[in-house]
Amino acid sequence: MTASDERSPPRIEAALKVTGAARYATETPVEGVLHAALVVAPIASGRVREIDDRQARAVAGVVAVLSHENAPRIAREGVFIALQTPVVHFAGQVVAIVVAETLMQARRGAAVVKVSYEELPAVTAIGQAVDPPFAPRTAGRTATDSRRGDPESALRDAEVTLERRYTTSTNNHLPLEPHAVIAAWQGDELIVHTTSQAVFAHRLAIAECFGLAVDRVRVVSKYLGGGFGTKGGAWLPVLLLGVMTARQIGRPVKLELTRAQMFTLVGRRQETIQQLTLGATRDGRLTAIVHDTLAQTSTYGDYADPVGTPARVLYACANVATSHRLVRVNAPQPNPMRAPGEGPGSFALESALDELAHALGIDPLELRLRNFADHDQHTGLPWSSNGLLECYRVAARSFGWEKRPREIAALRDGRHRLGWGMASACYPVYRMASEAAVRVAPDGSVKVRCGTQDMGTGTYTVLAQLAASILGIPLARVAVELGDTTLPEGPYSGGSIATASFTPAVEEAARQVCRRLAELAADDPDSPLHGLAADRITIADGYLRSENQSEILADLVARAAPEGVEAVARAAPEEKSRHSSYGYGAVFAEVRVDPELGEVRVTRLTAAYATGRILNPLLARSQFIGGLVGGICMALHEDTVMDERLGRVVSDNLADYLIPVHADMPRFDIHLVDEDDPHLGGGIKGIGMLGTVGTAAAIANAVFHATGRRIRDLPIRLERLLPD
Amino acid sequence: MTEYPDQQIAVALSINGREHRLTFPACATLLDVLRDALALTGAKKGCDMGACGACTVLVDGRRINACLALAAMQDGKEILTIEGLARDGVLHPLQRAFVVHDALQCGYCTPGQIMSAAGLIAEGRASDEASIKEFMSGNLCRCGAYPNIVAAIAAIADAAER
Repeated sequence: MTASDERSPPRIEAALKVTGAARYATETPVEGVLHAALVVAPIASGRVREIDDRQARAVAGVVAVLSHENAPRIAREGVFIALQTPVVHFAGQVVAIVVAETLMQARRGAAVVKVSYEELPAVTAIGQAVDPPFAPRTAGRTATDSRRGDPESALRDAEVTLERRYTTSTNNHLPLEPHAVIAAWQGDELIVHTTSQAVFAHRLAIAECFGLAVDRVRVVSKYLGGGFGTKGGAWLPVLLLGVMTARQIGRPVKLELTRAQMFTLVGRRQETIQQLTLGATRDGRLTAIVHDTLAQTSTYGDYADPVGTPARVLYACANVATSHRLVRVNAPQPNPMRAPGEGPGSFALESALDELAHALGIDPLELRLRNFADHDQHTGLPWSSNGLLECYRVAARSFGWEKRPREIAALRDGRHRLGWGMASACYPVYRMASEAAVRVAPDGSVKVRCGTQDMGTGTYTVLAQLAASILGIPLARVAVELGDTTLPEGPYSGGSIATASFTPAVEEAARQVCRRLAELAADDPDSPLHGLAADRITIADGYLRSENQSEILADLVARAAPEGVEAVARAAPEEKSRHSSYGYGAVFAEVRVDPELGEVRVTRLTAAYATGRILNPLLARSQFIGGLVGGICMALHEDTVMDERLGRVVSDNLADYLIPVHADMPRFDIHLVDEDDPHLGGGIKGIGMLGTVGTAAAIANAVFHATGRRIRDLPIRLERLLPD
Repeated sequence: MTEYPDQQIAVALSINGREHRLTFPACATLLDVLRDALALTGAKKGCDMGACGACTVLVDGRRINACLALAAMQDGKEILTIEGLARDGVLHPLQRAFVVHDALQCGYCTPGQIMSAAGLIAEGRASDEASIKEFMSGNLCRCGAYPNIVAAIAAIADAAER
């Protein structure tokens, strides 16, 4: 599906992006802007003893050097803000900021700030922890622990049990666009151009930190060069430093992260050690699942991915216990990264199911069919919809799964071995309140305004499509404004939330505009529709029509409402849902393994997804592929390598930290399963995360099928597959 | 007082068919001169060390990473950036193909991918999908638009051969 059709128009902002005209945050021209460079700590734990900035201040162009000794005091609960105390929590922490007329001068200054440290013993790996693991308050948005039935007894009585340990590595989000902020104060008013996945949340945090009314702060993020979770809460601590610096100096300041700083200052996917125990009958029915996760967090903040979610909800099983525990490490603060929790958690669960299938001699797909959950056993609620079975059917048929040999290492291609693996995927549906405005101008053009963001997800386009569809006008007549806190408040972009949240608000606003247009026509003596029942007037193709009468929409607005017709609507999810809602998918992978070199190539990925209503199949397919690529790199490439002696990131650049390239891409075969979910406002389930769930397991399972080698530690690099 | 040899250098750069007489530090990269001195921000700074390809431009028809090139060494050379690819407001076929094939998501790697693709086609390396994938692998895309990028390039390369 490369050609666009009516349901799949290309991105409306694409022409700006292919010509270089789209301006990203750091490219905003701001008069008199100064540049900031960061000085970061080389030690993993300790205190700053002394900062000697004399040499830095003498560098031509340097305007100021800020450190904990002279920086203003700002605070926000749950946010670690640097430059407030001399304490160093991790290698890479900001200890000083140098501000200069040019970036080159600022970097020169930063290079000669002399900092001496009092170094303390550091815990630089989970295995070094002295203190026992502790239970965080939550795991993502979910409960830390869960328990149903009696897993211990069930395991004791199980005909078959399987106990395994799986590990996943630390990953970094690494959008291609580095984080940046340009903060410009004008008196007590502040405008912030920044790389934000959440302009309203950032505005609130900035206003509260600096004692400002929220309407004094404007946060703008028009084009966002990727996010994947790192440009929301994780970016806030440095964003605040940028604002603080501008305030302190009294001039606009631009602060951009270097690629290396993106490995330490803006979050990471936490490393996990997962213990997974399954109990089952000989015919493959699950009788117990125990899934315990140990993960890394920082010394100054708690974060746990909801790793246990798939074990809680994906399969029918009466006896399930899950837990999440954390260990403090002198390392950067972890935070959500694309498919947080469900990505790493599904690697363990879906690998274990494959191991169980192999042990029992049951086809891996058949094993999953036998354990389909007809309702959410975690909450006891019925599904709002569940298209998992259809996903299995569609993807398996397209992949040719029925031809999979049961034997291991049976498929060959010359000296290479081929293997086929599969996995299930699920991701919860989240929604938040959203406002949106829709306006018809006297020339018949439409503008949609919503303070959400487009980080490459297609938000510009689907906002326009939603309004165009209800107002019955061509897409080319719709303009969209987003990424600005002067707009009606929109949702943040993350957790597959945005589209599910703004869709009902935009649709309601567009419907209100339609009603007002119909009333205008019915009430206007000059309209051919005058006197007709407003509720029988329809709007399509740029016309209002009823019975045999019609009027051009633009004519009506120009005459009867020359100021335009606008409606602002708000939509919020039900406080307590009577249904449990997840998006589902099934992913099938083919790998080619070089048995002598240990090299793994994914050659085919077939996936089917059931995620409610799809607004634009072309863009949805692209986003699912993006998610699957995230799964490929989790499986085979990505690993933030830490020096466990010094606690520093070794692979802090895009050459040493492997992210997949063109040459790593398999053939993608994506299927969107139609799903009408009547229980969700707007019918949208969100699609950004789901592609990254299950994919790593499908690939690892395919590697096992190809080689007989069960790799339980990600990423699956050459060294893990070399002959013993 | 720290002294740095901030030698300024005067250079004539031909960018997108226009001559620019500029003075900048001898150590300035082509990328910084494009973005900061000329406000040609289409070439992106993704890593500033030649590892991501987001800053790809053509110099005398060859693709290079502008972040690894000293601006002062481009004197007298023809530089083509993404801003110079469209002619008279009409998109270049590659740009159109990127739009139609949805070969972009966030758009940050896109100018580099397109300029690299233009170089690739000129090199005669867009003959088949495997070659496109291999020789476009210096241009990273974190959104995962890769297969659509390859489809867009293949469509243009096919059209060019016919």
